[in-house]
Amino acid sequence: MTRGDAQTYKIALVGNPNSGKSTIFNQLTGLRQKTGNFPGVTVDIKSGKIRFAGGIEAILTDLPGTYSLYPTSSDEKIVAALLTHPAHANFPDGIVYIADTNHLEKHLLLLTQIMDLGIPILLALNMSDTAAELGIKVNIIRLSERLGVPVVFVSGRTGENIDRLQAELEKMMLGTQAIHKTAAFYTPTEAEKQLVEAVQLNLGTENPYRALLIAHHYQWLPFLQHSERETLAAIVETKHFQSLRAQVDETLDRFDRFTPFVQESVQEAPTFPNTTTDRLDALLTHRIGGPLIFFAVMLLMFQAIFDWSVYPMDWIETGFSWLNDGLKAALPAGWFSDLLTDGILAGLSGILIFIPQIAILFLLITILEEVGYMSRVVFMFDKTMRRAGMNGRSVISLIGGGACAVPAIMSSRTIGNWQERLITIMVTPFISCSARIPVYLVLIGLAVPAVKIGGLINAQTLVFASMYALGVIAAFASGWAMKKWLRTREPSFLAIELPEYRMPDWKNVALTVWEKVAAFVWGAGKIILFVSIALWGLSRFGPGNAVETAENTAREKAQTTQLSTSETEDLIAHHRLEASYAGQMGKFIEPAIRPLGYDWKIGIALLTSFAAREVFTGTLAVLYNMGSAEPDISSRTDNQAKVTMRAKMREETFSDNGKPVYTLATALSLLVFYALALQCMSTIAVVKRETGSWKWALFQFTFMSALAYVVAWLVYLLFS
Amino acid sequence: MLRRYKTVPDLKAHESAAAISFVDPALACKLTAMGVRPGAVIEMIRKAPFGKAYYIKVDGIRLALREEEAFSILLEI
Repeated sequence: MTRGDAQTYKIALVGNPNSGKSTIFNQLTGLRQKTGNFPGVTVDIKSGKIRFAGGIEAILTDLPGTYSLYPTSSDEKIVAALLTHPAHANFPDGIVYIADTNHLEKHLLLLTQIMDLGIPILLALNMSDTAAELGIKVNIIRLSERLGVPVVFVSGRTGENIDRLQAELEKMMLGTQAIHKTAAFYTPTEAEKQLVEAVQLNLGTENPYRALLIAHHYQWLPFLQHSERETLAAIVETKHFQSLRAQVDETLDRFDRFTPFVQESVQEAPTFPNTTTDRLDALLTHRIGGPLIFFAVMLLMFQAIFDWSVYPMDWIETGFSWLNDGLKAALPAGWFSDLLTDGILAGLSGILIFIPQIAILFLLITILEEVGYMSRVVFMFDKTMRRAGMNGRSVISLIGGGACAVPAIMSSRTIGNWQERLITIMVTPFISCSARIPVYLVLIGLAVPAVKIGGLINAQTLVFASMYALGVIAAFASGWAMKKWLRTREPSFLAIELPEYRMPDWKNVALTVWEKVAAFVWGAGKIILFVSIALWGLSRFGPGNAVETAENTAREKAQTTQLSTSETEDLIAHHRLEASYAGQMGKFIEPAIRPLGYDWKIGIALLTSFAAREVFTGTLAVLYNMGSAEPDISSRTDNQAKVTMRAKMREETFSDNGKPVYTLATALSLLVFYALALQCMSTIAVVKRETGSWKWALFQFTFMSALAYVVAWLVYLLFS
Repeated sequence: MLRRYKTVPDLKAHESAAAISFVDPALACKLTAMGVRPGAVIEMIRKAPFGKAYYIKVDGIRLALREEEAFSILLEI
């Protein structure tokens, strides 16, 4: 290796969107890949190891797809920022450039830009499934000669020629590439030359094209210091440099230069007959059929999530209750056994129970993206989204929000306009995510009768669907309000490619789903586990010997009123909880939540849910089941457990007036609160990361909480 | 007065015309990089279901453009 073994060779994978980059990345790295945080940019970038025959290794990084080094979105800016910054820890030693063989011309623009940066590069022509069908034939030897870079054919789909690509890579690493072009592809204009010289002189940038790019992007390139930015601003000012005009001229000049090369090398030009894609689009983007099909797809998707997840969720629940009972029986009774079962196991099951739904939702969303349907949705709903201050691309975030707001917020990076992206980030958590489902199910089962309204729709289903509708309405209404309030003059783009429909790359689908589920389990999982252990401690212990005193009081009370053993247990549990730290916290906030119809126990659940809303059901389970272990607990099925919990919740009364807590009004008010409030630490963290400041994260939290409180209060007033 | 050019929204479904130039430099920069260049033949496929966006084809590449983006491309008459 040229740089010695101490420093691993770094290869970056670059190409336009839809060039088939990720499939080739998977082919080259296999499963030896991970998603890591890239220093300097708040973005997760995939990297993986390539192993060569001689035991040599290289690190391959998959950079976001971009059309040129003149970016219009934060995703694309990453590429330009990295390639203009040789001191960056991840600056590539060599680049593998992936181009779609069928649209060679369009894909060569970025290649020639990178060539001018002087980074060793290798062109891989990706043959999509349809390349043969379109009848294109390319003379790669001629193309390689004219461009001055090695060219190989590969197929990301079938893995054909991946070994050839690897062999070329090895040559690039060893510095034994047959062709090495030194002359710049683009000849700058006189004005640009003077500008470049001034930048080189002041910043010490060696490569002229890099100097030119820095002059174009000095306002946002993250590695520039304040003084450098001022110097560059002065240079651009004195040279009267018109950045946008120059970008267009340069782009057109490049096209003029390489178009003849393409014409010489392409022996048989592709024909673009009326393909399956056109026939499908006539239906899928039809002015009436298109939106109808979209809503049908969404309906089927959410239907599938519920239908398919029933069994795995049952297995997980059964498994955990079996484990719980087993541990309780095997371990001596005491705080350790309680911590293990009521604290840690309860927390773990709270995490794992979501996996089936999240996995199915991610699977379906990934498939829709892979086949190319999502960009059609972006096209169809751009106008609708713009009314609410967003971009057509926001649809992808909002749909993803149905699974989990965290990855959904991250997918907003493709939106170039900052205001549109910000609004998307702000409103995505309103969409009911899978963590809200169990909360909805428990509360609806508790308070809404399973009657058919007008002999047609089940009242429970109706309330459930209304919660989703409420989230969508809240998202659009607040987006619309934010649009009125924020005003930027930054350009906004739709301009999106509608790729050919294709079969999903199943390996890529599996990897994506795996990554997102794993990220959820580790990210949210840590919080849920922590909260459930903390909750266990808070509800078991109290200040001084308050808990013990409460237990004694309860025991005396039970004796005087001659309660049965199980009734005594329940009374003790109740008194202990009331005296515990958790009970005190609940009592403390009770005055604030009483107008919404909640008691101190719900108060505890609300407090713990602020870390993660999925904690709600777990908290209630702890609050309503604690201490009252029934003798036949092992034979009890999970449905019965839920029924027992619901039965206990139904019996719950307010301590001051003895009225039942869980009336329809309280349940609906709680439902609305959970639908609208931002109760998720992971979301707050990701919003802080994506917006770069606590300001927006706190704004969102405050806004959503206030809205949830007010609407829940109104709902309670309306129904009580 | 006779116009010397038309723009993308003037095209009827499956009608084509060659691009001449762009009105807006920011959009020109974005569109040229996506393969919409002067000389390229643009075919109108259809309007978005709720309007305000167009589905076009350029050299076998399918693109969705907003109304503003579509208006910024000047076409031969």
